[in-house]
Amino acid sequence: MGRYIIRRLLYMVVVILVVSIITFGLMHAIPGGPFSREKALPAATLLILEERYHLNDPYWKQYVDYINNVLVPHITTTPPSTALADDCLVNVKIGKVWIRWMNFGPSFKSRSRTVNDIFRDNLPISAQLGTMALLVSVSIGMPLGIMAALKQNTIWDYIGMSISIIGVSVPVIVLGPIFVWVFGVALKWLPPTGWGAQPPYILGFLPSSLGWDFFKHAIMPSVALGLGASAIIARLTRASLLQTVREDYIRTARAKGLHERVVITRHALKNSLIPVVTILGPLFAALVTGTFVTELIFGIPGMGKYFVTSITNRDYPVIMGTILLYAVFLVIANLVVDIVYAYLDPRIRYD
Amino acid sequence: MRKNFVFLSLLVVLSMVITACGGATPTTVATEPPVVPGETQAPTTVPPTEVPPVEGPKVLYQTFGPGDVPTLDPAIAEDTTSIQVINEAFVGLTVINEVTNLTEQGIATSWESVTNADGTETITFHLRNDIPWVRWNGTEVETVKTCDGSADRIVNANDFAYGIERNLNPIVASPYGYLLGMVLKGAADYNNGVTTDFATVGVEVVDDFTMKMTYLAPAVYNLQISGLWVARPQPKWVLEGDCDGAVEARGERWTEPGFFQSFGPYTMSEWIHDSTMTLVKNPFWPGSDALPVPKIDEIQFSMLDEAVAFADYESGNLDSAAVPAADLDRVRADPVLSAELYNGVNLCSYYYGFNITAPIVNDVRVRRALSMAVDRQALVDNVLKGGQQPAQWFARPGLAGAPTMADHPDLGIKSDTAAAQAELKSYLDEKGLTVDQLDITLMFNTSSGHQRIAEAIQQMWKDNLGLTVKLVNQEWAVYLATVKGADTPQVWRMGWCPDYPDANNYDREVFAPNGSSNPYNAAGEPEGGVFWKNQAYVDLLNQAAVENDPVKRVDLYAQAEQILVYTDAVIIPIYWYARNTCTKPYVVRTFGTGGQEEYAKWDILPH
Repeated sequence: MGRYIIRRLLYMVVVILVVSIITFGLMHAIPGGPFSREKALPAATLLILEERYHLNDPYWKQYVDYINNVLVPHITTTPPSTALADDCLVNVKIGKVWIRWMNFGPSFKSRSRTVNDIFRDNLPISAQLGTMALLVSVSIGMPLGIMAALKQNTIWDYIGMSISIIGVSVPVIVLGPIFVWVFGVALKWLPPTGWGAQPPYILGFLPSSLGWDFFKHAIMPSVALGLGASAIIARLTRASLLQTVREDYIRTARAKGLHERVVITRHALKNSLIPVVTILGPLFAALVTGTFVTELIFGIPGMGKYFVTSITNRDYPVIMGTILLYAVFLVIANLVVDIVYAYLDPRIRYD
Repeated sequence: MRKNFVFLSLLVVLSMVITACGGATPTTVATEPPVVPGETQAPTTVPPTEVPPVEGPKVLYQTFGPGDVPTLDPAIAEDTTSIQVINEAFVGLTVINEVTNLTEQGIATSWESVTNADGTETITFHLRNDIPWVRWNGTEVETVKTCDGSADRIVNANDFAYGIERNLNPIVASPYGYLLGMVLKGAADYNNGVTTDFATVGVEVVDDFTMKMTYLAPAVYNLQISGLWVARPQPKWVLEGDCDGAVEARGERWTEPGFFQSFGPYTMSEWIHDSTMTLVKNPFWPGSDALPVPKIDEIQFSMLDEAVAFADYESGNLDSAAVPAADLDRVRADPVLSAELYNGVNLCSYYYGFNITAPIVNDVRVRRALSMAVDRQALVDNVLKGGQQPAQWFARPGLAGAPTMADHPDLGIKSDTAAAQAELKSYLDEKGLTVDQLDITLMFNTSSGHQRIAEAIQQMWKDNLGLTVKLVNQEWAVYLATVKGADTPQVWRMGWCPDYPDANNYDREVFAPNGSSNPYNAAGEPEGGVFWKNQAYVDLLNQAAVENDPVKRVDLYAQAEQILVYTDAVIIPIYWYARNTCTKPYVVRTFGTGGQEEYAKWDILPH
């Protein structure tokens, strides 16, 4: 298993390189640049800005410099400076030398910030929201799916699946404003906008307190975001469980006189989880790195909007940073899923 | 600044949902908690009092647009939000009144102007000597001391010179360095790296509180531009370090909370990126006629999308918010909200430009016909609905030097179907064409708002001229590249808001050679936008720039506008913007016209 994980992590570097080449090529292929303005900048000013951010270097050099800054650890004796161009995510001092790694570059839009600043300040909020939404979706979706499967073709099945159809077909973009209006504006039970945690974060991403101030902001967006995902999980759980309960080993378990509850929880449920776990990996990566619409509707300062605005702004370092971040989360989440497979189904072995 | 077009369709959906819900519960706003006298909005609660109820700190809840404030560094700022905070934190030599747009005293209390023999102008500014630099120390605003700690650091001429130098320094790469380069002697060469000697720039520190600035020409707007954010003091000791290392160099991080130092009516105490920014009153700001001592102790800005912010306003969490276009009808019908609504001037202009070298629209008669066939009043009444004004020319009333509707009711171009039909007929007869043989494309950037305007105008051209035009839209940055290059379509959309409220910022900086919508190549030929060359227009602008008689100056700009929108008809002026803002009744305020507010003049009444 250890060798398998190491091999997968090495593959990850290859995936990152491929993703970065495609992203870099695509973002430079679309017309317009980071300094295109309705009020067009004079040619001389444009030249100064391009010089400043090395945008007039040949593309291959820009790419090589970027990969060098992001992927290659730099060993140096000079300590980190206050320059934005010098902002690394990892700064480790060993004796007299500094090991400095992962410099994702400056933001062209927020010119006093770097992509690393966005990771440090905004990613934790998206991660908190995404994790809570995932918990909501699992804790609603799985029981709903199990109930529907066990009571197949009864009123319970129809109710459960109707709820999940509604969950899929009423997206956050509709549900969010309704929540805001009902609970925020009309009833005034919950604040319509904002987020209840702010830097510094425990371990870099956990809110420093988990009181009502945190949850009153988190309830509406987590539920709005989690409901849609819960519907998918409910349908998957139902379908998978229905298939599993028809397997021979379930008949065997029943034949040897096990209690129905034990049959379901120990034999059927565990084995039916594989498709659900498969979807949880990418779902986790998508929710945790930020959700554009939810964050916009509830005014949450997360990462989500950077996936969209970086492209409309042609903010090249932010485009690269957000895409690579998502790629890393996706690859790691899928790796975890593969490891969980081995636990769920002992027949799956990787070595 | 309409940068978030991609969001717009989303917002429309949002607003529709909110509007729909609002229709069902129109009296929701009236169910706010009953007003308790003496109650405050401050997060720090007033201690339970025995005798007279003590007023807590006055806190104003405001919103910026969505997304982080891009920067607080005056040397690299370019957007209205950054400049709004910079205006509160760093006051210029002069101040532009946010309502009247007149130039007032800033840190300079008096100035003398001399026109030199070589045609340049030198203005000597006399500065106040009583304004200390301050910082937020975590609990309160304190003054910044000199190295030996004996005295406060006082804002002086060297701080101004340092700020101007940074703005022009090509290493800093200011997007607005060219603005000073346009007026200040030697500034363009320094900005473009032709010279690295700042002494060649027309900025001279005579003594701590006197500075001389030398300008290329005695232009009326020199004073305005000298007060803009591009020429504000910056704390050199914070950027570069001082006192033998006792003051640490913060470099490009100097605008972060904790490091930030300023001197204006408000200073920044907290900045949670992408979420909120808090400005606190600077008790050491002595006040002036233009910028009084602030009455509000703290301003909390949240960074919210317009539709979200308005929901927040309605739920009582914001004291003022812009009304989204989709909500306007509902707000006007609501008894509470309509009383809180303010409709006023916003100094921007919306127009369609022509590529006057493109087929068909290369004939001025066609351009005039298209312009006169746009029923601007109908567009405002039925499509925009926000109290905008039909535009007859480009440099709109309210800008210094710009003609007003009272003085020039018949200037420019008006909606006139009969005249439009006559112009088009004259063209068709001469060319031996029929109207259905004309192939015209109108392009705009992808957004439901621009789409609706384009569709309405397409219909007007169909109804009034029998002409069918094609509508094409492109994503914003792609569109910008298209309409400023060789592939510029026949008709295209654009808008303009002022950097400084003078007609020069409109007529010259947009349509003169190398203007924003009239780019020229190195050989001096038009290469994008309107593709326009007209020496008479440029001559009028040059005269107007240095004309000191306000009436004559307006007249020169009126003549220039007549060439722009009628004689050559290179653009279709469509409408002049309006602002629609709701404010809670307990807030005393002014309404800025140029995109900026002046919070030092605001107050909150007990409520």
